[in-house]
Amino acid sequence: MAGLVTTFGAGAMTNSIGEIRDADFLFVIGSNTSEAHPIIAMEMKRAVHRGATMVVADPRAVWMTTLAQKHLQLRPGTDVWLLNAMAHVIIEEGLVDEAFIREHTENFEAVREAVRKYTPEEAEKVTDISAEDIRWVAHRYATTERAGIYYTLGITEHSHGTDNVYCLANLVLMTGHLGKRSAGMNPLRGQNNVQGANDAGATPIFLPGYQRVDDEEVRRKYEESWGVALPPEPGMNLNVMMKAVGKSIRGMYVMGEDILLSEPNVSKLEEGMNNVDFLVIQEPFLNETARYADVVFPSAVFAEKDGTFTNSERRVQLVRKAVEPPGEARADWEILVSLANACGASWDYPNSASVYDELAKDAPRFAGISHERIEESAEGPKSGLQWPCPDPNHSGTEFLHEGGVLRGKGLFSAVEYRPSEELPDQEYALLLSTGRTLYHYNAATQTRRESGLVAKQSDPFVEIHPKDAGKRGIASGDLVEVCTRRGKVHARAILSRQVRRGCLWMPLHFHEARANLLTNDAGDPITQTAEYKVCAAEVRSVEKDGAEQRYPGSYYAMNGPGPGAGGERRS
Amino acid sequence: MTHPIRSSIPDELQKAGGKLEGVAREIAQRTGIPEAHIYGVGSFFHLLDRPHQKVRVCTGLSCRLAGADEVLKAASEAGLPVESCSCLAGCDVPPAVLRERRVLPAVQVEDVKRAGGDWQRLRSSSPLVAAPHRKDEHWSGSIGPENADPSQLVFDLRGKPNFTGEAYRKAAEMGPEAFFQQLEDSGLQGRGGAGFPAHIKWKGVFQQQETTRYVVLNADEGEPGTFKDREVMLRRPDLVLEGLAIAARMVGAKEVFLYLRGEFEVPWATMESALRRFVDAGTFGDIQFHFHAGHGAYICGEETALLEALEGKRGMPRLKPPFPVEVGLWGKPTLIHNVETIACIPPIVQRGGSWFRELGKTEPGTKLYCISGHVQRPGTYELPLGIDLDELVEAAGGYLGTLKAFSPGGASSGFLPASERNRPLSFQALGEVGSMLGSAGVVVLNETVDMKWAVMQQLEFFEAESCGQCAPCRIGTYYLRDSLDKHMASQPRTESLRHVADTAWQMNEGSICGLGQAAPLPLTTALRHFPEDFER
Amino acid sequence: MTDRSITVNGHPWQAQEGETILEVAARHGVEIPTLCHDPRLKPAGACRTCLVEIDGWRRLAPACATPVTEGMSIVTENERIDRHRKTLLALYMTDHPQSREESERGAPDQLFDMVARYQAPSDWGVLENKRQGRPDDRNPYIQFNPEACILCARCTRYCDEVESVSAITLAQRGSETTIATVDAESLLDTTCEMCGGCIDVCPTGAMAEKIPLVRGDKPERELEKVRTTCNYCGVGCQMDLNVDPDAREGQGKVVKVTSPPVGTTTNDGNLCVKGRFAYDFIDHPDRLTQPLVRGEDGELHPTTWDDALAKAATGLRGVTERHGPDALGFVSSSRCTMEENFLMQKLSRAVFHTNNVHQCAAT
Repeated sequence: MAGLVTTFGAGAMTNSIGEIRDADFLFVIGSNTSEAHPIIAMEMKRAVHRGATMVVADPRAVWMTTLAQKHLQLRPGTDVWLLNAMAHVIIEEGLVDEAFIREHTENFEAVREAVRKYTPEEAEKVTDISAEDIRWVAHRYATTERAGIYYTLGITEHSHGTDNVYCLANLVLMTGHLGKRSAGMNPLRGQNNVQGANDAGATPIFLPGYQRVDDEEVRRKYEESWGVALPPEPGMNLNVMMKAVGKSIRGMYVMGEDILLSEPNVSKLEEGMNNVDFLVIQEPFLNETARYADVVFPSAVFAEKDGTFTNSERRVQLVRKAVEPPGEARADWEILVSLANACGASWDYPNSASVYDELAKDAPRFAGISHERIEESAEGPKSGLQWPCPDPNHSGTEFLHEGGVLRGKGLFSAVEYRPSEELPDQEYALLLSTGRTLYHYNAATQTRRESGLVAKQSDPFVEIHPKDAGKRGIASGDLVEVCTRRGKVHARAILSRQVRRGCLWMPLHFHEARANLLTNDAGDPITQTAEYKVCAAEVRSVEKDGAEQRYPGSYYAMNGPGPGAGGERRS
Repeated sequence: MTHPIRSSIPDELQKAGGKLEGVAREIAQRTGIPEAHIYGVGSFFHLLDRPHQKVRVCTGLSCRLAGADEVLKAASEAGLPVESCSCLAGCDVPPAVLRERRVLPAVQVEDVKRAGGDWQRLRSSSPLVAAPHRKDEHWSGSIGPENADPSQLVFDLRGKPNFTGEAYRKAAEMGPEAFFQQLEDSGLQGRGGAGFPAHIKWKGVFQQQETTRYVVLNADEGEPGTFKDREVMLRRPDLVLEGLAIAARMVGAKEVFLYLRGEFEVPWATMESALRRFVDAGTFGDIQFHFHAGHGAYICGEETALLEALEGKRGMPRLKPPFPVEVGLWGKPTLIHNVETIACIPPIVQRGGSWFRELGKTEPGTKLYCISGHVQRPGTYELPLGIDLDELVEAAGGYLGTLKAFSPGGASSGFLPASERNRPLSFQALGEVGSMLGSAGVVVLNETVDMKWAVMQQLEFFEAESCGQCAPCRIGTYYLRDSLDKHMASQPRTESLRHVADTAWQMNEGSICGLGQAAPLPLTTALRHFPEDFER
Repeated sequence: MTDRSITVNGHPWQAQEGETILEVAARHGVEIPTLCHDPRLKPAGACRTCLVEIDGWRRLAPACATPVTEGMSIVTENERIDRHRKTLLALYMTDHPQSREESERGAPDQLFDMVARYQAPSDWGVLENKRQGRPDDRNPYIQFNPEACILCARCTRYCDEVESVSAITLAQRGSETTIATVDAESLLDTTCEMCGGCIDVCPTGAMAEKIPLVRGDKPERELEKVRTTCNYCGVGCQMDLNVDPDAREGQGKVVKVTSPPVGTTTNDGNLCVKGRFAYDFIDHPDRLTQPLVRGEDGELHPTTWDDALAKAATGLRGVTERHGPDALGFVSSSRCTMEENFLMQKLSRAVFHTNNVHQCAAT
């Protein structure tokens, strides 16, 4: 997000989901799209069936590689090398969009200089992707008009996540793949309302609509609106806050997140929680964090309340109440209003639409959006409204930067490769990445209460290459212990050729095998996002499973993604 | 470009012994083709779907007239892994029996008993097989007429195969434009059933913008009553292969695909060894020939179903338009012809279009008529196109018993009464009475036959062979057979047949391909011409 | 795009190159029935209900698969087409459950609607069903009821062309043609990803949600649909919560999720396994139903809202008083609504005077 705001002036998908089907070249990097964003994957599949070329860059042979023309199975954490080498090729072959660079960007020279030494041949040594493939992909990307980049946490959840984002943005800017249909730079959001939470100002730096808290004029506007003085200094971001828990942070209010399950390096966090004076949580279910809570508010789930979610493509859509919450549970917004008033405020919102109206009033990007307008849009070909939507007559924005970059000039950022914070060594010889599966969601508080999903994927597992497993005497289905410098968990081993040799992969959904006991909380210097994707680990068998059982829900892990989709690869 | 992996699904299944449990999954692992697709393809073709059935007895009309039921019963009692099957293109040597993929002619109950319960020992004791000049079980059927003048024959099935490649070289010198003129002059109509003017197809493919083009041979002969293609391939493979080479050369194709029905193990061998002679001599330059086997599905004789099968899919006909001339094999312009049609090409090149045209009686050329059922000498007869039934049967040694009804062009042509015996057996003349020449598989029935029974054989055939893609055919073939079943089971006769007319109308209007469109004809024509048989 | 001038039922219309007859007709509000068409799929022309007459064509043509050409003259209603529809539907009904009650396991069976709409006879008798199902398939979500299947192949084509996992296929042939998995395996043991698209595209309800059937919920036509936004990933799929308003003593219960029509929302009628099936958590016994506060004994105890709110307010203010405003941290949620995130940051900033507010996924 920070990377995108710096570069373009807006942190969101530049283009729309519906445009993907018309793309001619799709560069999918660090995204297990068919599992994490199945519906976007369907759009990509549609593009490929139409004749588009798709390249998937991922250390794992994720399902989408089945349909991809090329799979760049790079070493985890070497994205900067790959992307800088692509930039190198594009510059070397004279494929840059000179006019676009001149009119719409600044700082290109710094990048030209920086990528000079990132030759494809050198990149091959670091990334394990052949120089030939790097040249081919760079060439195809630069020379295809409708070429889009799609990425998710495989890019950002690194200690150099922002660098990765800058590198991608450099490619977009130097080729002018911006402000055009079916192109651009498209982060696919992991949660239903990641975009909206950021848009709404739930960030330490920004008030709603990406207006900085340290901007005097902005602050004055909100002070006037809200009738109170506002703190001028940016606050702590989540990773900093979690490290400060029990130290400078002595009281917390946590809504809708099980921080003990989802934050990295959880043992340190638990220590801190013991020193917190007061904790309030607001949740539909009791969770791990509740063990430390002083007050627990029972909240409604999405089907029991009204409001809006904003999706990855900046589309604001309605959430509608379908059923009553159980017992005395209440909608989160109602609880927040009650609490504010219990603290002496006098908030008065008759309904969630009136909350949105207040949000829109002071945030120019959303000024034209209201529940009423979204309701009306349901009659149109696509429901919802996409920001920017500055006034009530504006029909919303399908893709950004059409008339020029929002920021004014797109900012190139020269980036140097930094290795991941913790790499395999003699003691911990394997490289562990974590991620999501199709059948569960985040901490699985919802999905593991769903019998069907449990039938498909019941237990924690770890994918390991057959060669690595063989060396350690591990057979498929064995219960194994995965350990890192921070902790250990038990999981079933799946021997899989989807992972690279020397790599492990684990889902993050299972509380009995919390991946965040293992992962490193080393953060990106700018966003502080933790390095969930790379840390050193080791694995050993703790219990042999007699029979070679078919592991439910792991069809592709057992068989590889080979027999998918249409079979025929285009060439 | 072609997708050789995908197209090999049926071959892979055959190699693995059929669609047995685990086979589809194993092939999927190896090839990357979705396992469900492989399973779906395997289940479509009877030879792949039920590989444990090693013996199949043809229960087509001509074979049942010759005692197929007794053979089937005997085989079953002997404990052979046996089932009944659709026409094996052996109506002239009834009852025909399939042992794995080899057709045995005129198998008798004694032959079955002699096998002693071991299907591998099943042999035919027919003198056709015993002929000393034929090695192993190679055999061919009767041909005629006797004493025909070879200069008046196109195929000259008795003639010696000619491997000189003269016709190919002559056509090459002639060039496409001049050749198409000869073809147009010849008036050659497709011999597969539809009778479509050949030159239009050839020019159509030639004129496409797309330069990758294919030639496909339809040797999936399976229309009940028809076996001429088998005979051409056994006796004159040279004509077929040279015709294909000329086709490729004229329309600008580099690859030729031959789709032979899976039961044609022997014709396949003949064709392959003939091809080797041409290839060894380098006669046809760089034209590539690819053999593909069918696996037990009549519908694959429909040209677009055949293309699907060639591509390794379930043999379900495509919607037309677009026609194969524009969008054929792997989406490329494709010239697809039946064996008999393509075999006409070298003689037309050699002797000219007008020579061919003048051989015909009411329409151009000679025709290979297949005759079976109640006649003295069932077989393949090359005669001028447009002769009538009496002339044909005379060539075949005369009727057995008194003529009651006949099918002029396979099951799809329905039944005609004896009163039509002097109607020319031609595309046009038969079309005029709502029948068709089709593939010219003529089946003769005498006064001993109950038409209800004869119709039932044809309805069972269509029901078994409907591909199931479109409702009019899938449900219609089932519904008609079921209605006739109910009609025959009830005494006195009930109203079971009251929706036949509407069903037949729907099948004709609504079906995607010719199978469904023609399937009601045996019943509707028999009801029209032999109502008394349905009242008895 | 080149324009094409065509005539439909005597009306001169403009159409675009590449448009099919069905698309042009739909644009002009002319009704052509279809059972096998879906805009997401390549036209199959297999159900045959959409056949129309084209001037100069001997045979009727499938409107779904026939692109218009310049000067084409099309008729969508006449005696021939009417007889076609009636006799075709009559045939369909011989190979189908005879009543809605028998047939409908999930979504409304459109075949019955069509029979009524075109006054087709449904008394041609009944054929025995020859399609094999997979009654022992232990997958939790998708049930195939072969009796109601009309072999339109929308499900298999969706599985190939949209979801692209090719888990199901047409198998066997003729009247035995059915929808199958490899070796009749449970969908759990195939490439199936349980997106349920096969259920969504099925026109007769032959593919149906298993759980509502097992649970014995009301048929879909008696449920209320509430359009909302999915609460899982960031795509923002629109979906319809199917609510039984009488359940839970009138509080309502979500018993099924269906997708909005194709072409109306970002998800274009598609949903994934979580969106379509993972709604059990809504009405789950583990749900919190009362506010809880930690007592002297160190355990959480139920209490009233007033008490919990007062305790929370006192507790949080105590921290501020002792350690200053920046000793508080507010963790908002990307799982909650815009409005809730807005109020959370306002609470943090305007009520407790700190900018220490963030949420989990800010990258």
